[in-house]
Amino acid sequence: MFFGVLAGFVWTIAKVALPLMARQGIHRGIELDEPNALRNWTIGIVVVALISGLCTGMRRYLAFGVAYRVETDLRLKMFAHLQRLHFAFHDQSQTGQLMSRAATDLQQIQGFIVMIPITFSNLLTIVLVAIVVMVINLKLALLALAPLPFLNYMANRFSKRIHPVAMELQQELAGVSTSVEETVTGIRVVKGFGAERVQSARMKETAARVFDRAVYAGRVRAGFMPLLDFIPALGILAVVWYGGHEVLNGRLSVADIAGFLLYVNMLVFPLRLTGQLVSQGQRAVAAAQRIEEILVTEPAIVNKANAVSLPPGNGDVVFDNVSFGYSREAERAVLENLSLTIHAGEAVALVGPTGCGKTTVARLLPRFYEVDGGSITVDGVDIRDVKLNELRTAIGIVFEDTFLFGDTVAANIAFADPEATQERIEAAAALAGAHEFISELPNGYSTEIGERGFSLSGGQRQRIALARAILADPRVLILDDATSSVDPTKEHEIRDALKTVMKGRTTIVIAHRPATIALADRVVLLDEGRIIAEGTHVELLRTSSRYREVLAQAEGAAA
Amino acid sequence: MWSSHGVDEEDRLKKGETGNLLRRALRMLRPYRGQVVLCVTVLLLWTLATVAGPFAIRYGVDQGLANHNGAALNRAAVGFAISAVAVLILSRAQILLVNRIGESFLRDMRERVFDHLMHMSLGFYDSQQTGKLVARMTSDIDSLQELVQQGLIAFVTSGLLLIVTITALMFISPVLALLCLASLPLVLIASVQFQRSSNRAYLVVRERIGQTLSTFQESLSGVRVIQAFGREAANETRFAHHNQEQLDAYAYAVKISALYFPVVELAGNFALAIVVGIGGSFVHSNAITLGTIIAFVLYLQNLFDPVQQLSQLFNMLQSAGAALNKLFGVLDTQSPVQERQAAVDLPDHGNLEAVDLTFGYSEAGPKVLSHVNLVVKPGERLALVGPTGAGKSTLAKLLSRMYDPLDGSVRYGGVDLRDASFASMRERFTVVPQEGYLFQGTILDNVRLARPSATDDEVAAAMARIGVLEHFIGMEDGLHTEVRERGSRFSAGERQLVSLARAALADSEILVLDEATSSLDPGTEVEVEVALTKLMEGKTVIVIAHRLSTAERADMVAVVDAGGIVEMGTHADLVRRTGAYAALFGSWSGQAAS
Repeated sequence: MFFGVLAGFVWTIAKVALPLMARQGIHRGIELDEPNALRNWTIGIVVVALISGLCTGMRRYLAFGVAYRVETDLRLKMFAHLQRLHFAFHDQSQTGQLMSRAATDLQQIQGFIVMIPITFSNLLTIVLVAIVVMVINLKLALLALAPLPFLNYMANRFSKRIHPVAMELQQELAGVSTSVEETVTGIRVVKGFGAERVQSARMKETAARVFDRAVYAGRVRAGFMPLLDFIPALGILAVVWYGGHEVLNGRLSVADIAGFLLYVNMLVFPLRLTGQLVSQGQRAVAAAQRIEEILVTEPAIVNKANAVSLPPGNGDVVFDNVSFGYSREAERAVLENLSLTIHAGEAVALVGPTGCGKTTVARLLPRFYEVDGGSITVDGVDIRDVKLNELRTAIGIVFEDTFLFGDTVAANIAFADPEATQERIEAAAALAGAHEFISELPNGYSTEIGERGFSLSGGQRQRIALARAILADPRVLILDDATSSVDPTKEHEIRDALKTVMKGRTTIVIAHRPATIALADRVVLLDEGRIIAEGTHVELLRTSSRYREVLAQAEGAAA
Repeated sequence: MWSSHGVDEEDRLKKGETGNLLRRALRMLRPYRGQVVLCVTVLLLWTLATVAGPFAIRYGVDQGLANHNGAALNRAAVGFAISAVAVLILSRAQILLVNRIGESFLRDMRERVFDHLMHMSLGFYDSQQTGKLVARMTSDIDSLQELVQQGLIAFVTSGLLLIVTITALMFISPVLALLCLASLPLVLIASVQFQRSSNRAYLVVRERIGQTLSTFQESLSGVRVIQAFGREAANETRFAHHNQEQLDAYAYAVKISALYFPVVELAGNFALAIVVGIGGSFVHSNAITLGTIIAFVLYLQNLFDPVQQLSQLFNMLQSAGAALNKLFGVLDTQSPVQERQAAVDLPDHGNLEAVDLTFGYSEAGPKVLSHVNLVVKPGERLALVGPTGAGKSTLAKLLSRMYDPLDGSVRYGGVDLRDASFASMRERFTVVPQEGYLFQGTILDNVRLARPSATDDEVAAAMARIGVLEHFIGMEDGLHTEVRERGSRFSAGERQLVSLARAALADSEILVLDEATSSLDPGTEVEVEVALTKLMEGKTVIVIAHRLSTAERADMVAVVDAGGIVEMGTHADLVRRTGAYAALFGSWSGQAAS
């Protein structure tokens, strides 16, 4: 950092010194022809040139180095923070938006940080040059430099004008991208309904909009860019004309003219860049604010100050008078005074129509959300008092929408414990009924899956997710609709697997297929956030008309 | 700052290709011939005007200052002013022209490539990766766009400036010019080297950025799983690793530029030393004038800056060239299914027949279907059943000419589909794919896809006819509800309903349906069933059945297995026959019972 500043400082002085030395060389060596002057000044130029060359490389390397490091650190900080933010935050944010914080916003900041040392060097250049030319000839200096502030002003205006246009153009381009992507993805629809011409016509409109914006951007550029070149030319004109007459009057040397010309040119870029700096700074500040917004969001669910370890146990779960709503403004709470005891080793099925709150029950237990009222205990301890990490390790969950990582099958199964041996991984897979198909994959357990890897069917993904949960060997297992996307002809396979897994383990099963429900020891029927009936599958079939209704609806879907 | 483009080795243009590419690009510019000629003229004038400035100054120094001639000095000042104004006007015109021509070219390119993609048959899409096709229309055209918006003018003017400046220097004083240019070869070598290494470095940077961002995105999408398993810290370590790798890649790229830039700066300053030192001794020996020294000092700035600019722009130009090459590649790809020169319209009604139909994805490869014969009479419903991969979908695709057969033919009312006009094919056939896919826009827009000329009322009427109007009219914005906003708001069943509504609006003679395999949400499942039944009324239907109920309701069932039809008849017949269908029926009904 210190060397960067030093290098920048030396470089700036060397840069400003060079024209001065050239002027001296021309004046004393050529015009006045003093002995040895030409040789000495020439050697001087070479030496200063070498110093400047050395420093320019260093300052560049160090300036960018610092800026990239800041960007990298910020990205990691953001990542770590997002990882720990509660479910409710992620429910409300769009991945795309967060991604643009991580990519574009960070880049804005990085671009601005790079500008800081450059700007210091530029300001120093401007000051030094102004002093030097004023010492040489004040009147000419004022004349030559007079147009230059406009350069700064115009560069600032240009930057302000072009930015929104460029953003609009980007937006239109993103429109092209969306439209192409959906057309290609939906090509079967386009072909099936003969909609080729409709899509082509749409693209024509989109392309016309891009054209329009791009031509407009060109017009803005055409309005400013040539002007930015023209303004310094006015300074040069002043030097040549007025300065020339000063030479004729004997008040100035030709070498001074040369020096002035070089200095006017030298100021062009510093002034242009500092002109752009203002709007670039504004954008960077806006970007920083957006990132700050994320960083100041406190994780809502954290360890208590004196959090305890989960005592040993077999997974006794008690929901005591639990109330919960996803937002305070919601008219109706999702769960109202729900009490439910699940004994160690028991398997309970939660059944109910869509929106009855069964998934919410599953998500409160690992403390993904905090209850509004009442309490939940696992093996006698309130989950809010337990160390979060221990709680979540003790509770395994298979989500409805199975998310797998872009990694090997083995790594996905061993997610809870990357150190797990191949035997443990295979055992978990076998329990989940996944071993057979995994063995048939091109690279077996080493097959890469996910976006850029092998694509699995919904049922296969669910079975891997189940294996992942099993490998963690949780006290309590939650299966949230874990068989929903399994092909009906394959469902019995996974059902057998479930039976083995559930043996002797506290399990909460959310399901609507009767065959899966039948696996549970007890069925709890939920409706509108309350328990309305409890009993075995057979009992409820006999006693509860609502239960029969709910099942019939699900049945209708499966037929 | 500098170009952040990287060009893969495999994308690099071969020697002959560049010329070819330019010729084709110029051919596409033919409609804008007048503008192009004007643009080239403006460019040349601009270059002359730019170089004229220092000439005027030299004149002023030599004729005005050296000879103590005030009038000559004034002339020089006027000359300089004129050249500056000319540059102002000409560069304005030049930016406008280059931009307009370039953007017109890009607009045409977008339309042509997209139109071409739309004309490609399904066979083409089955053999291509979606991502690559999208990249043609997005990142490839975008890199051309960037060139047009930012690079092209700089590239052309830098090149011209370099040439004209060297010419001017040689004209004023060949000896001093050669001395100044002595370091140019060194700068050129350094530039080529820089261009190569920075290209490589930026390929790595690009890859690492991709890696970091995809890890970031994955961790956001999977954040619930990560928290559920308490893997936050471990995942952070993994990300930190990628993040650091990205930083390292950047640091390396910066290092390369930090080594290159001093070379250019040094060469410029050495040239300055040469002009002053050696040029000065030439002035003493009266070989050159003081004005020449001043002009040289000014010209030097036009000498090395363009080299630096060019070396940076070169990468941009290369990746644009590679992109253009790929785009022309798409335009050169012929669709496997083509409309004949003298195509005829299909008759309004008739039997749909397959005659000795044989198909494989390649001439030499294994046959997916061989010697299939079948007849579907107007108004008849044929269900295709059979195990996965047996050829049901392929048969359906051949019957609707998504593919052309290798041998045999498909005929409608006696006309071979290969002789039919595309327009009449579109009118007679509607293919409803397995999954309801929605495009951006409202429900109305999505249904209207099947018949763009339909009014809102016609769309609503079609929806009412199959009983789905009710479902959507109740939504907040009714049929004007945006389908894509706020994520995937529409359930699979609802998407299916929209898809069926499209088919209802198309109202064509023949419906080819691919039934969804997975079960839908309980609520809409029933609605889909009802809509399907109404939709099929009075139509000739070919349905790929995955459900027993669908097969049961068909007039005819064809069991497809091992590339042929192994059984065909009514449901009742086939069940009695105790063949393949009876076995399938057995497993189906057993499953429903469990």
